[in-house]
Amino acid sequence: MASSSTNMLTKFESKSSRAKGIAFHPKRPWILVSLHSSTIQLWDYRMGTLIDRFEEHDGPVRGIDFHKTQPLFVSGGDDYKIKVWSYQTRRCLFTLNGHLDYVRTVFFHHELPWIISSSDDQTIRIWNWQNRSLICTMTGHNHYTMCAQFHPKEDLVVSASLDQSVRVWDISGLRKKHSAPTSMTFEDQMSRGNQNQADMFGNTDAVVKFVLEGHDRGVNWVAFHPTLPLIVSAGDDRLVKLWRMSETKAWEVDTCRGHFQNASGCLFHPHQDLILSVGEDKTIRVWDLNKRTSVQSFKRENDRFWVIAAHPEINLFAAGHDNGVMVFKLERERPASAFYQNNLFFITKDKHVRSYDFQKNVESPTLLTLKKLGSPWVPPRSLSYNPAERAILVTSPADGGSYELIHLPREGSGSIDPTDTKRGQGNSAVFVARNRFAVFNAAGQQIDIKDLSNSTTKTIKPPAGTTDIYFGGTGNLLLITPTAVHLYDIQQKKSTAELAVTGVKYVVWSNDGLYAALLSKHNVTIVTKTLEQVSTLHETIRIKSATWDDAGVLLYSTLNHIKYTLLNGDNGIVRTLDQTVYLVRVKARSVYCLGRNAKPKILNIDPTEYRFKLALVKRNYEEMLQIIKTSSLVGQSIISYLQKKGYPEIALQFVQDPTTRFELAIECGNLEVAVEMAKQLDKPKLWSRLSTEALAHGNHQIVEMTYQKLRQFDKLSFLYLTTGDEGKLARMAKIAEHRGDFTARFQNALYLGDVTDRIQMFKEIDLYPLAYMTAKSNGLTEECESILEATGLTEEQITLPTLGSPLTPPKPIVATFKANWPTKATSQSFFEKALLGQVEGLSLEDEPAATSNGFGLDEAGEEERNGHLIEADDDEDVAGWDMGDDIVPEVESDFVNVDSAEAGAGSSEADLWARNSPIAADHVAGGSFETAMQLLNRQLGAVNFAPLKPRFLEIYQASKTYLPASAGLPPLVNYVRRTVDETDPRKVLPIIPRDIETLATGDLQRGYDAMRTNKLEDGSRIFKGILHALLVNAVSTASEVDEAKKLITTASEYTLAMAIELTRRNLGTAEEVAKSPEKLKRSLELSAYFTIPKLEVAHRQLALASAMRAAFMNKNYNSALSFANRMLANGGSPKILDNARKTKAQCERNPNDTHEIEFDQFADFDICAASYTPIYSGSAFEVCAFDGSKYQPKYKGTVCTVCEVCEVGRNGSGLKLVA
Amino acid sequence: MDPFSAEGELLNIHNYFHQGQYQEVIDFDTSSLSPENALPARILSLRAQIALGHAEEVIADVQGENEPELIAVGALAELAAGNEAKALKVAETLAGEKGDNAVVQVLAGTVLQAAGKTEEALALLSQHQGNLEAVALIVQIHLEQNRLDLAIKEVQAARSWAQDSLLVNLAESWVGLRVGGEKYQQAFYVFEELAQAPSTSSTQSLVSQAIAEIHLGRLEEAEAALQQALTKDPKNADSLANSIVLNVIAGKDVNELTSTLASTAPEHPFLRDIQEKSALFDKAATKYSAKVSA
Repeated sequence: MASSSTNMLTKFESKSSRAKGIAFHPKRPWILVSLHSSTIQLWDYRMGTLIDRFEEHDGPVRGIDFHKTQPLFVSGGDDYKIKVWSYQTRRCLFTLNGHLDYVRTVFFHHELPWIISSSDDQTIRIWNWQNRSLICTMTGHNHYTMCAQFHPKEDLVVSASLDQSVRVWDISGLRKKHSAPTSMTFEDQMSRGNQNQADMFGNTDAVVKFVLEGHDRGVNWVAFHPTLPLIVSAGDDRLVKLWRMSETKAWEVDTCRGHFQNASGCLFHPHQDLILSVGEDKTIRVWDLNKRTSVQSFKRENDRFWVIAAHPEINLFAAGHDNGVMVFKLERERPASAFYQNNLFFITKDKHVRSYDFQKNVESPTLLTLKKLGSPWVPPRSLSYNPAERAILVTSPADGGSYELIHLPREGSGSIDPTDTKRGQGNSAVFVARNRFAVFNAAGQQIDIKDLSNSTTKTIKPPAGTTDIYFGGTGNLLLITPTAVHLYDIQQKKSTAELAVTGVKYVVWSNDGLYAALLSKHNVTIVTKTLEQVSTLHETIRIKSATWDDAGVLLYSTLNHIKYTLLNGDNGIVRTLDQTVYLVRVKARSVYCLGRNAKPKILNIDPTEYRFKLALVKRNYEEMLQIIKTSSLVGQSIISYLQKKGYPEIALQFVQDPTTRFELAIECGNLEVAVEMAKQLDKPKLWSRLSTEALAHGNHQIVEMTYQKLRQFDKLSFLYLTTGDEGKLARMAKIAEHRGDFTARFQNALYLGDVTDRIQMFKEIDLYPLAYMTAKSNGLTEECESILEATGLTEEQITLPTLGSPLTPPKPIVATFKANWPTKATSQSFFEKALLGQVEGLSLEDEPAATSNGFGLDEAGEEERNGHLIEADDDEDVAGWDMGDDIVPEVESDFVNVDSAEAGAGSSEADLWARNSPIAADHVAGGSFETAMQLLNRQLGAVNFAPLKPRFLEIYQASKTYLPASAGLPPLVNYVRRTVDETDPRKVLPIIPRDIETLATGDLQRGYDAMRTNKLEDGSRIFKGILHALLVNAVSTASEVDEAKKLITTASEYTLAMAIELTRRNLGTAEEVAKSPEKLKRSLELSAYFTIPKLEVAHRQLALASAMRAAFMNKNYNSALSFANRMLANGGSPKILDNARKTKAQCERNPNDTHEIEFDQFADFDICAASYTPIYSGSAFEVCAFDGSKYQPKYKGTVCTVCEVCEVGRNGSGLKLVA
Repeated sequence: MDPFSAEGELLNIHNYFHQGQYQEVIDFDTSSLSPENALPARILSLRAQIALGHAEEVIADVQGENEPELIAVGALAELAAGNEAKALKVAETLAGEKGDNAVVQVLAGTVLQAAGKTEEALALLSQHQGNLEAVALIVQIHLEQNRLDLAIKEVQAARSWAQDSLLVNLAESWVGLRVGGEKYQQAFYVFEELAQAPSTSSTQSLVSQAIAEIHLGRLEEAEAALQQALTKDPKNADSLANSIVLNVIAGKDVNELTSTLASTAPEHPFLRDIQEKSALFDKAATKYSAKVSA
């Protein structure tokens, strides 16, 4: 169909009768087409839909134009009429009559309310469409005027006529005449009078400025250049002529020869130095404006072209032919680009290679220019980057496809032509390995694998019909055919997998190389690296580009949106786009993309929605929680999404509206929330729904409340009966009596088995026979007599039926009413717990006083003994390891001779580590345990190293890898560094596992969990583990040192707190403690001390609650009161506070302590970590140099009970963590 | 013509061997080889068997053979079977008599180095004339001696006459892992290229890739590679040892892996090293005690 039309990209085609006029809408994706059949069509060329048809002209419509700003367009036809239309109201607003023959073209003025028209009546007319009048008629042509256009800026008009001439007209007079009269100065009038010799009709509004003669036949079209003083014209002499003009004259510059039939239309490219022309020879031709040579041409099989138009802003053209319209681009606008880690490499419009750093957000200067690549008007198609060699492969479609392999310079230093380039023929070229690339030749259907010197090492015959190749994972290629994609193993030279996907145009690999997105025009197919389809989705709008975020979400751009899709195919819109962009990278909230102008841009997005959905799919509840807490993720869509996906309990977290909340709570069985909402709304309908739901759950307390709310007394009575709550049943009877509801009263009396009340009731309502019967059957003779007396009857006068035994209701066996006995599991989700901050576990009811583990008590006992053995003074300090502060042992003693040694073994990197660092951890990693111990002893007074053994070995184990090398020899040992980028052996340092960040995010949280779930032994172990890990560790910055110190303090406080509580629990069972006053006192003291260490507020509340309860139970109301007050001051979950409030109220009645304990709630004190006794502020104490735990002075010299490593009271030089 | 060169018919089997694809070496179809290549192919196959732990069979196989190459294979097999003294004796004799034989250089050199006779091994290997295997071995020995400078020289020299050979690439990567910095990444590329292409992938190359990633600090990727390696061969000692290292770095529990390693390869340098250090710790820790003991 086309000859050398490689770059012309057809975007839209319509089928209709001959198209004579075309106009682009300046903003919207619309095109107006006027047809030979009298119809005007309005198309959306992006969607490919016909929006509207306008049919009022009689006969062919030749001229058409959109107004630049108003919702108007103008048309002119063979019915001599010019019509102005509104496309909003879809009506013709008015018709301008005056022409005496066919109207050929109509155009709006760019700013004035004017329309210019040309007609076969040989005139050009200018109309004012606001007052709908003809303001100027320009005569001079002596044959049909085929075309007339305003100059885009100046007061000029150019016209073309079958009289073989092109004329340029000056219409400044017309403008002045129609402007405000004041602007007409005397001089103006004078000059006008002089300058304009006035044409033969005395018309001075529009005068001919230049007459351009050169065409040998009629001229069909003429156009001004948008910025330069140039004119282009097309004529029946099959020529396209270029003209130049100055202030005073105009002349022919050159002729473009090529059309072999009448040239019917021509124009200047709005942005590039190109001319486009169409002709009846069925071709569209593109010419170089500067050289007037043909750049490319496109030929249709059967259709003659009649008109061409350019979009004013974007790179789009439209041409009308015998059978409709085609909208096309001259070239791909997708900038060739590739990214690697944090760098994007791309080629700008002027063929400069640049890079862009995502981290710093800076664009590099030009690294290279590719001016010589391909042909001048053809941009490079693709770019492939090789990070190992810092080389790029660029392909260009010019000359049947070619590629170039170029090494990039390290630094960009402006426009440098590449040196040392390798080039060859090929349609696409990609790197497939560090030193290999593949070149695909479509014509020969052959793929060559080449090395970096550009010599072919292998040749592959791809499957028939292959159109393109892409990287397919290491050693593999993805071969694209029109209907399928093949995964091709280069080594094995065969296709290992095939997937039927049609029309794949681009392949985008995920950052981890596990997934790839295959982009077609309207489809995205996600596949694994072995080419198994994961999901696919369809878009009605064209898909332009895609990129993966680090979490495995694909973001893709269509013409007007950025959208996302998860691996499972869930997708949605991220944001809208004003302009088409090509995505290259997503990082956090930024999307990096290249615009059509090949400039990097950063777009901000809100990733919350897809992150949340991803977390939901992956069941990563913690992240979801994080999102819920930190972002404003609300809205009906997310709620319905969650509901649809079966997560009502999560949806519940987003909703504020009580009605919806109620519905969701019922749906997920969260009665608590349902009750809360029902209370707020207080509607009978809701209460009855709630009662049904609660009944189904077996939560009869809520059922009771709802019945109360609904005033359903009979149901309520029955509920009390079934739950065995006689007290309340009796109250119901009372209520029934008050209400005078005898049926209810009877019922209740029956439920209660209350005979007297029944008789009483019968009497009240004058049913004496029944009353008598009841009394009789229950054997209440006195009552019988009184009834008889009251009725004045004797026993003989009444006949009695046979009486059965008296009715007695069964007695409840279990007091069900005391507590709920839920039959349905309450679905309190992870979220609610976390959100409400409720920490279960150390609850007050089930706190086992008798959890004996032997740990706390033993330890405490040990400390006691320690205490006795202590000696007051110690002079040994000096004798120890006092070798000065922090001098690295064996400093650089034999560093120098390593390099100079000619033969023999060198020193290993492990030795270097110890030399390079004063940090104990680095010595440990180097295997130099002795010096590490020396350092720790000197820094912190560490003496008891046994607990550190796991940590030492852990660090040591992490320091080396074992590389299998030559067969038969042991693996090569390599040393793992934390200074990954460092190569200077004097600066390398080892990796230290469990750095501060893992400790703070992992271990610390596990410690908190242990605290919350009341697993104190575990917790104590975890916190001690944290202390040991920090004791032997390394950080890189001073701020991290501070962080580490904070972490040490936290771990130390928790260790102490847990030890105190464990000691208390080990005093004995509740009974044992209660029996011995001494133990009881100690127990109360310890529970009070438990509240002293600085724990997180939620955990402190637990300690306080426990202490409050202990104090309250043992009638130490004053202490209990103080704990309650502290709890209330801390705030937190309502459950706990409620409890505190109650206790407070009770304690305030009698604020006295029964047992005297050593705990002064008003004093400021710390707890001795060995004896668990208070150290009041101001009194002497000793500390552990590492963890800061405090001790009574008598413990000086013992091993710290918190870290179990350091000696109490030894002041070292301090922990060193940073080199 | 060098039968191992890119055009030679032994290229594939040779590459299989050095990529650690031992089973492929054994399965290699040698029937179509030209007669002069039959022996080298057989030697490679025998060496592959030794690498797979079938040393006894190889000893039986080469029993009574007179070719120096096969005697050298026998020595290597003895070494693998644990008879170090016997292997060493044979190797020393061979080194003296047939020091110019390429196969003898490599195999006897391996035995000597494994027996701790580094000087002798280097002396033997330095006689090589364009034998890349010998070069690789020399590089490895230099690295074991922590003579990075000499190893770099050796690789550079080899690079000048054997551009793109697998062994040079490997040896350069071994050196790269010691140098660090950008070289880590380059070593990674080499290993990854081998490990991720289905036709060249082996436990050895996967482990090597993982190690490069560990050194680059890319723990998750390293874990994936090691997982692949362990799927291929769950009992590979090097995979296990490096998995332990990785998990320790990542702060994960390693008890299970350690016990697996201890049961499959109790003599692995990793375990021996840790035992040594554990004893060292206990000894060093006794030097310290609190002034006031409990």
